[in-house]
Amino acid sequence: MRKLYHARSESLRLSLALLVLAATVVLLIVVAGADPWQAMRGLLDGAVGDRYAIAETIVQSVPIAIVALGVAPALRAGIFPVGSEGQLAIGAVTATAAVFALKGVSAGLAVPAGCIAGMLGGAAWAFVPALLRARLNVNEILSTLLMNYLAANLLLWLVRTVLGAAEALATPRSDRLPIEAIIPKLVDGTRLHWGALAVLLGAGALAYWVRSTRGLGYDVFATHRDLAARMGVREGTAVMGTMLVSGAAAGLAGWIQVAGLQGILYPSVAGGLGFTGVLVALLGGLRPLGIVVASLVMAILTTGSNGLQTDTGVPASIAVVAQGLVLLGAALVFAARQRKARRAIIDFGAKPAEKIR
Amino acid sequence: MNAAELGFWAILLAGAIRLATPITLAALGETLVERCGIVNLGVEGMMALGAFVGVWGASEQSWGLGLILGGVAGGLLGLLMGLAVLKGGVNQIVAGIAITLLGVGLADYFFQIWQPSGRSAVVVPLVPILRLPMLDRLPLVGEALFAQSPLSYFAFAAVIAATWALRRTTPGLRLRSVGDDPEAAQLRGVDVVWVRMATLVLGGVLAGLGGATITVGYLGSFTDDVTSGRGYVAIAVVIIGRWSPVGAMFGALLFAGFDSLALLAQSSSVGLPVEFFSSLPYAMTLLALVLTARAQHAPRALGRAFGE
Repeated sequence: MRKLYHARSESLRLSLALLVLAATVVLLIVVAGADPWQAMRGLLDGAVGDRYAIAETIVQSVPIAIVALGVAPALRAGIFPVGSEGQLAIGAVTATAAVFALKGVSAGLAVPAGCIAGMLGGAAWAFVPALLRARLNVNEILSTLLMNYLAANLLLWLVRTVLGAAEALATPRSDRLPIEAIIPKLVDGTRLHWGALAVLLGAGALAYWVRSTRGLGYDVFATHRDLAARMGVREGTAVMGTMLVSGAAAGLAGWIQVAGLQGILYPSVAGGLGFTGVLVALLGGLRPLGIVVASLVMAILTTGSNGLQTDTGVPASIAVVAQGLVLLGAALVFAARQRKARRAIIDFGAKPAEKIR
Repeated sequence: MNAAELGFWAILLAGAIRLATPITLAALGETLVERCGIVNLGVEGMMALGAFVGVWGASEQSWGLGLILGGVAGGLLGLLMGLAVLKGGVNQIVAGIAITLLGVGLADYFFQIWQPSGRSAVVVPLVPILRLPMLDRLPLVGEALFAQSPLSYFAFAAVIAATWALRRTTPGLRLRSVGDDPEAAQLRGVDVVWVRMATLVLGGVLAGLGGATITVGYLGSFTDDVTSGRGYVAIAVVIIGRWSPVGAMFGALLFAGFDSLALLAQSSSVGLPVEFFSSLPYAMTLLALVLTARAQHAPRALGRAFGE
């Protein structure tokens, strides 16, 4: 009886916490001098109001989902790379460079070359922290974070010099990619492009990985190293493999951000997409369907908040605050569910005889 | 500016100490937090919010209020992190990322409400420099060591005080015991959750103060991404400094030394691109992280939830 009471008070406290998080967003909108109800409608209007807005939201979700699907195997294995931001930038650089290098060779090669170069670039940028973690046990969270700043500087320098536009511009950027290097549009009249297909492929691959024996071994690796070793999962392979995959995925997203949109490499190409991707992987429970849904939610927040800023003057950075609150709320729910499951196991283990009777 | 001149080194050193101050404060907080067994990845957000709130407070009243409010803002984020991790059972790393998003987001949000883009930036008066008579005229180190912001002296004193407190006082011993073996500490009557909560709040206050130091102490204004990863650098230098306050301070000086060099290089024409010098502090921090990766002395219960 006491346990029942305890469980109820716990869910009460959880709902209270979630309520406080939601109230914070409402309060922030009020502080900005807008009507929360109107702002909420403005946000949804901006994100899913018409055909173009919906397409734009999906376009936004594509790189986020790809990064998240790629980083999920690492997170499942208890490895925590946060370098997608830099890997995405480097992928965008290598893809752009490859397309310009192959200019005039063969038009049909421009798309696959950009795609492969982007993935290789992202993986190469992930290789350093992966090797450092596997060989020297350097904390991968911090090494990947620091590498992000190196990538941002490298990108800025390249866009200013080697990859810079032919004409002199106030803000550095690359020349426009040749038309044959642009990813074709999926729906005419919108920016939705075939790169969205990569999300489905990635989700399928992750679904397969989660169900495979090897994937199970990597899941075990997160919590029980010795058991995982007996299942044939070696630490070095797990670290290198998952981190390289996450790098390649981020690089792919980098190529998509250049070749799928304007065909121009800007210094701001990553723009927080890498961080949001890691966040989405966590929010989506490290499962394919969850990740795709979470990426759409985050894209709605981003596109919606841009619309919100133009409509009501509520700063678009409300999206970042909301992301943090959503992550905190989801983590609270997840932790509560895990505690409940653990209690159930303990109950079962403590009184097996009673259960049988 | 020529590297052979004495003046060059004096300016480099003075800049290094100035730039190291915010990181030292934040890293000191993170050292304490990690010594009690928690990894706080929210430092970047705490610094960002402290940096903004500091400028706001300074423009409303004085730099003193700015510093206090900056510390309070960081402390509140630390409290939130503590509630999520210690009461809500949230994974420390996930909670830290959420806190960073919150801190950075709130700072940008309120900044845009306060100063919509297009309007000229509000510049606030800085914390005045405190010259120590006589000493500031010593060659080479005089200007660098004895003509600094009081915040730099405070950071140094705080590092020494924390070192002493960790080694010699009962709260310090309790804090370390909670980080090394929380179960045993609990059995001996130490309230593990309370100690960790209090330390997270203290760590938050120091990170927020560190953020306010960047803006109210040295820049005089706030811009988006004014912390530019210094919160993460603070976490890195805790590892580089092997979880000792003095070590973290030297780690912060390493980053700041190259940061100072980058600033000097930007103002003088050197053959290498600006981006090379801006990368140097981060690259050197990474290198130091690699070199100190072996033989680590992390608190034994670091990152593990209590009771698991």
